[in-house]
Amino acid sequence: MAVLPLADRQKIWRGLMRYWSAHSEGIGIQKADLLSAVTDIDAFLENNSTAINNAFPLPARTALTTEQKAILVAVVALARWNPGFLTNILGSVD
Amino acid sequence: MAATTRFVLTPYSAEFPSSNFPQLTLSNRRPVLGFDAATKETAYWTVVAPQGLTGTLHAKIYYIMASATSGDVDVNVAVEAYAADEAVDIDAGTSFDTVNAVDNTSVPGTAGYMDMIDVTLTNADSVAAGEYMRISLDRDAADDTAAGDMQVLFVEITDGN
Repeated sequence: MAVLPLADRQKIWRGLMRYWSAHSEGIGIQKADLLSAVTDIDAFLENNSTAINNAFPLPARTALTTEQKAILVAVVALARWNPGFLTNILGSVD
Repeated sequence: MAATTRFVLTPYSAEFPSSNFPQLTLSNRRPVLGFDAATKETAYWTVVAPQGLTGTLHAKIYYIMASATSGDVDVNVAVEAYAADEAVDIDAGTSFDTVNAVDNTSVPGTAGYMDMIDVTLTNADSVAAGEYMRISLDRDAADDTAAGDMQVLFVEITDGN
């Protein structure tokens, strides 16, 4: 797929600002810088989608759907750098 | 002339348009109006211009940023005022005077620290004592740079400064 349309990147941008506002979480950058970050990370995922897919071992690479692999990538990233947020998604896992 | 407090406009006394209004919410159990960073949102307050009103009005906006620690905010305050015998169909429209803008106010370096923006209401629709008066406040989100909500705690309307 191509990079996300601007409207979708702006939805992410608005959503992140509203989420952080609702949780009183500091944002040390300005609005334009945050939108740039969303844009560049989207471009990075686009440019590296093949490499990310190849990082999945078989049979996961071929048996999981694209949506399932996206969740897996997001969940592992959250577990590494934002486990509290991950708990909101998966609940407390034993 | 020393400033005289004429009104204190609070979140719970605000009125809202049908769309693009700030969220009435709580910050640490304190009522605030959360003005979005991406959408221009507006709130109104209706008051009666008090007897003895003199001098230039000021709107002193006390706010905190929900999350931003850098950047700036732009605010607009507008006034409309009607005397009892004015030939204006107020159930069909509004007639706010030209907005009074204060742009590029740097936000506090710590989210949650309170700041105040003093907007001189040069354009106050020639308001006189006893008139029906509305005050609008919006954040010019399209032009400012601070990320996240601007949370307005209250607005003090003074005459004089």
